[in-house]
Amino acid sequence: MTNRLRVLRAERAWSQADLAQRLQVSRQTVNAIETGKYDPSLPLAFAIARLFQQPIEAIFSPNGAPDG
Amino acid sequence: MECPPNRYSRRLLLWALLCAVLAVAVGIARREGLIPSSLRWAAALLPVVPMAGYFVGLGGWLKSLDELQRLIQLEALLVQFGLTGIVVMGYGLLAKFEVVPNTGIAESWAWLWMVLFFSWALGQLIVRRKYR
Repeated sequence: MTNRLRVLRAERAWSQADLAQRLQVSRQTVNAIETGKYDPSLPLAFAIARLFQQPIEAIFSPNGAPDG
Repeated sequence: MECPPNRYSRRLLLWALLCAVLAVAVGIARREGLIPSSLRWAAALLPVVPMAGYFVGLGGWLKSLDELQRLIQLEALLVQFGLTGIVVMGYGLLAKFEVVPNTGIAESWAWLWMVLFFSWALGQLIVRRKYR
């Protein structure tokens, strides 16, 4: 799964620690999601989508998924 | 949330210390012949009681972690379980073949905890690197 978390975070000038605090997770978790080493659970993905006010599919997409 | 919250660390340390203190105390009491035979069961198992508190505290700490940290702990436990099994079984077989001294079950509990602790620490190191 790929995601736009790093881009969305950069747009808001948040550090990984800032985002981690907002999501109530560890900075390591944010980093692991951004680098694609860990795919978040559905509740955490929803929390991320809610925080950035975007639908989940605008943030996360499966590897090799066709556009549109 | 990088590290376990302090309150859990302190609580776990206290339970572990209590266990160690009781183990030493009942050991001394037994050596000095201060334990009546009717209380030998209770005295022998007294250091085990704080371990229950320790594991309840450990459960609280696990609940306080986020989902990745819990996954890391789960994978570290797998390393711990596997490594401990290999070391204990390996030593047992070596003892059976009389390559190393046969220490017996009664003497093995103390080093078993050491193996459990160090294999868990090693598991943490390995798994944390994976998600770094």
